[in-house]
Amino acid sequence: MAAMSLLLRAAAAWGARRTAGDAVVRARLPALAGAARLPGTVAPVRHSSSHGKRMFIIKATRFYDTRFLNLLRFYIFLTGIPVALFITYVNIFIGEAELAEIPEGYIPDYWEYYKHPISRWIARYLCDPPEKDYEKQMALLDVEAKKAELRMMELEARRLMRHRGDGPWYHYETPDKNLVDNSMKSTPDN
Amino acid sequence: MSKDSDWEAYKVPPTRTPVSERATSVPNPATLIETVFNYVVDAPVTFVREWIERQQAKNKFYYYHQKFRRVPDLSECLEGDYLCFFEAEAQWRRDRLVDMEIVEIIRERLGACKQREGPNEFQNCAKEVELLMQVTKAYQDRYGDIGVHGNARTCLMKQKHRMMEERKAQANASE
Repeated sequence: MAAMSLLLRAAAAWGARRTAGDAVVRARLPALAGAARLPGTVAPVRHSSSHGKRMFIIKATRFYDTRFLNLLRFYIFLTGIPVALFITYVNIFIGEAELAEIPEGYIPDYWEYYKHPISRWIARYLCDPPEKDYEKQMALLDVEAKKAELRMMELEARRLMRHRGDGPWYHYETPDKNLVDNSMKSTPDN
Repeated sequence: MSKDSDWEAYKVPPTRTPVSERATSVPNPATLIETVFNYVVDAPVTFVREWIERQQAKNKFYYYHQKFRRVPDLSECLEGDYLCFFEAEAQWRRDRLVDMEIVEIIRERLGACKQREGPNEFQNCAKEVELLMQVTKAYQDRYGDIGVHGNARTCLMKQKHRMMEERKAQANASE
C-alpha cells in the first residue's frame, strides 16, 4: 500500500509536470493519512474540464456487497410480497372472528376457538383436534403404565420364585444320579 | 390480557367543565386544529375503516372461549392411576392460569381506581386495596413457593401441610 501510494504520487507528479505548462492548478494530492474528504485513493486525471479537477477515485470493490444485497432482497421479496399481499387480503376482506357466548346446546368445533382466520384454517386442516391429541397422550401413558406394572410384577415373581423355589424358574440342570460313581464311598477307609 | 367484564369498576364520573363565555374576538385555535384534524385525518381513516367493516360484515363468524369439563381432582385419584393423574394435572394447570388472570384483573382494577381518584386514592380505593390484598394472599398460600417444577402433587402436599399447621394452631389455641 505504501508502494502503491508512492507510485500514485509519482504518477501525479509526472502528470502535473506534463500539464504544468498549460494548467495553472497544481495537482494537490490529499494525503493518504488524512483522507477524510474523499474515499479511497485519489489520482488526478488530465483533460480537466470547467468544473475543477476531475478525480479518478480508487476504492475497494463494492461489487460483491451490492450483488449479495440485491440477491438477498430479491429472494426475500420473491415469497415475501405474495405472502404479505395474501395476509393483507385475509385481514381486510375476511377479517377476524368476533367473540360470542356459546349458544345453548351447541358444541363448537375445535377450530372455532381461534380468532384469526388463518389460525382457524391451520387448526382445521393441518392440526389434529386437541381431543385426539389428549387421547393419544393418555394412550401413551396407559401403555407405559402397564409396562411398568408388568415389569414390577415380573421382578416380584422372580424374587419369590428364587426365594421359595417352588416355581417354574430357577431350575438348574443337575447330572443324573445313575451316572454318579459311588465306588469310592463303598469302603469306609480310603 | 383478559378483558375485565365488570365495567362498573372502571366508570369515571362525568366531568363538570363549565361552558366558557367568549371574552375575545380572536377565534380559538383549538377548534381550528380540531376541524383540520377531522377533515385531514379522521374522515379518511373512518371512511376506510367503515369500508373494511362493510366487506367483513358479509360473512361473519365467531369464536368462543372453550369450557372444559371438570374431572376428578388429584385427591380423588387412586394410587398408580396415571391417567387420572394426567387429567388432574391438566385441570390444575388450567385452574392456575385462571387464578393468575383473576389476580391480574383485580390489580388492574386497583390501578384504574388510582387513576380515577387522583389525590383521593388512599381513602376511596380502600376496598380495592383490601380485595387485592386478600386475593394475593390466597394466591400466595395456594401457589406460592412451589417453585418452577411445581405441579398438582406439590400443590396438594402444600395444602396438606397448611391444613396440618392449621390443626396444630387450633389445638394449641384450645389448650
